[in-house]
Amino acid sequence: MESCQNLSMIRYIVRRLLYLVPLFFGILIIVFVASRIAGDPIALMTHQNPHITAEARLRLAEYYGLDKPIYEQFFIFVWQLFQGNLGNSYAIRGGTAVSTLISDYALLTFELQLSALILSLLIAIPVGIISAKRQYSKLDVTVTTTSLLGTCIPVFYMGIIAIIIFSFFLGWFPAGGANSILVERYPFGSHLIDSLWHMILPTAVLTFAILAPVVLLVRSSMLEVLRQDYILAARASGLSERTVVYKHALRNALIPVVTYVGLFFGGMLAGAPITEKVFNWPGVGRLFVEATTKLDFPVIMGVTVFITIMTLIANLVTDITYGYIDPRIRLE
Amino acid sequence: MKRKGLTKTMSPNTNEKKRAIGVSQWNIAWRRFRKNKAALAGAFIIGFVIFLGIFDALIAPYSPNESPGFYVGETRVPPSLKYLFGTDAVGHDVFSQVVYGARSALFVGFGAAAIAMSLAVLVGLVSGYYGGIIDNVLMRITEIFLVIPFLLILLVFLKVITAVAPSGVGGLSMVTLMIGIFSWAGNARIIRGEVLRVKESEFIEASKSLGATTRRIVFKHVFPNVLHLVIVLTTLMIANAILTEAAVSFLGFGDANSITWGQLLQRANEAVKEAWWEGVFPGLFITLLVLGFNLLGNGLRDALDPRLRE
Repeated sequence: MESCQNLSMIRYIVRRLLYLVPLFFGILIIVFVASRIAGDPIALMTHQNPHITAEARLRLAEYYGLDKPIYEQFFIFVWQLFQGNLGNSYAIRGGTAVSTLISDYALLTFELQLSALILSLLIAIPVGIISAKRQYSKLDVTVTTTSLLGTCIPVFYMGIIAIIIFSFFLGWFPAGGANSILVERYPFGSHLIDSLWHMILPTAVLTFAILAPVVLLVRSSMLEVLRQDYILAARASGLSERTVVYKHALRNALIPVVTYVGLFFGGMLAGAPITEKVFNWPGVGRLFVEATTKLDFPVIMGVTVFITIMTLIANLVTDITYGYIDPRIRLE
Repeated sequence: MKRKGLTKTMSPNTNEKKRAIGVSQWNIAWRRFRKNKAALAGAFIIGFVIFLGIFDALIAPYSPNESPGFYVGETRVPPSLKYLFGTDAVGHDVFSQVVYGARSALFVGFGAAAIAMSLAVLVGLVSGYYGGIIDNVLMRITEIFLVIPFLLILLVFLKVITAVAPSGVGGLSMVTLMIGIFSWAGNARIIRGEVLRVKESEFIEASKSLGATTRRIVFKHVFPNVLHLVIVLTTLMIANAILTEAAVSFLGFGDANSITWGQLLQRANEAVKEAWWEGVFPGLFITLLVLGFNLLGNGLRDALDPRLRE
């Protein structure tokens, strides 16, 4: 029976992959074509140069391969992609390889997003549970109100307020960036502490932004589960309240939370640009915004490939995990 | 508690026509809604912003593109009696700008939600009711839209639009359209789920056995029962659309010629150090409006839920 389940799971994964691969290429095509329709990067690069000739522009276009028909450009792109070559940027950091750019910046984005996600889960789940257990108490009301506000405040506004209060009025934390520009400014002369010091404010803001909806979700899910018959049965059979809540109720209540976190994983990379802009955090999000503004095609495509792969994997993993932990799905 | 329920009078004169008052689902919902203070607060906030949107020219002391502080050297001054929210770098009165931004926020919110929800309802209804291949195909399409990295694709498409289309009101409509086009998928799935649930009801079976056409069943029987969900989802979608527009404008991909609160925040981002009032006030209004719609949406959900007993 166990192998039966595993086989159908493998079949499911294969089916999903067969579906996700064309989807991946579909997204690539869409972004590829759209970015080229959006304008001419050569014009952007050269418009400040009064001496540029049409001939020079043509030569630039040839150099970047932009004079070829679109489908040919796309084939070249895919061909290079399979070789692991994402091309070189047009305008960012003097034409460094896109893969270098992404690997440099992605680490920082992950640092920020993962820390925030983990922290917020560590806080949100217990708070949500306690809030549910003590429904309508003062604690519950405070928690729900704060969380509701948290879902309504735009992340970048939270960031701006945080910067105003903690950076300018109080002067406790730097206003942005991942590290101080001047080495002399490192607290205690340590690069590590400097990095952590810069991370505190953006992480705190992002954590709050993430935990607000999660707290509400955990709380409502918990309330729903605690109303179920099997909880009453568990209590009636003499189990301690602790076991009932933390062992039985929690497991079921966390199912929608897992789904949410899984989907969030997929969306978090896409949402990074906002926080990164406010705090001037050198991450993949900021890179993408810069590249899209400058019509830097290789970077746009490179980041798209990266984020899309991550998103698709995250969705696939969420699907599988959801199938594992919710037995009701398996029986369908 | 006095139940304004069934009959007005119980008199021995059975000749009197007894009218049933106030027992429809909507009446019950309205009564429940009225008692919910948070929901009423939400409605009040929305009403306030709509009021700002309609009477913006009368409320704002200066006209939208006017820079009253520019020539008199009053750029970047803090809030005062003359400039309620202060001025920005070019001398605009922040208060006037915020007031004029109300209309754009409402436009984008309602517009994008209208587009997204129309698509979601259509897909959800058809997919849920007809099932089979139609359901399969529509659900695949929905999945595509769900999996695409939202902000990423939105930014790219907005760049295309701003390059191709004119701006002004046109620009903002484009932003609204884009947000609407990429936001329908999640709700389509939810609506489909509800349609599937309603489909199993006995009154649907009864309609079918009476020979009602599928179209009639879908529009006259299924849809009204999904309506309560649609209303709640729409309200929440409006809140979402406003936040998305703000985010997109903040990143610089919105319509630079229209005044939206997101645009104001974008300009304020550079000025955070010197002029906190440039960013704080527009952001406050965004939060307020989104809060209003969220409270309203939650209130509507509690009021319209047919499973809650009074």
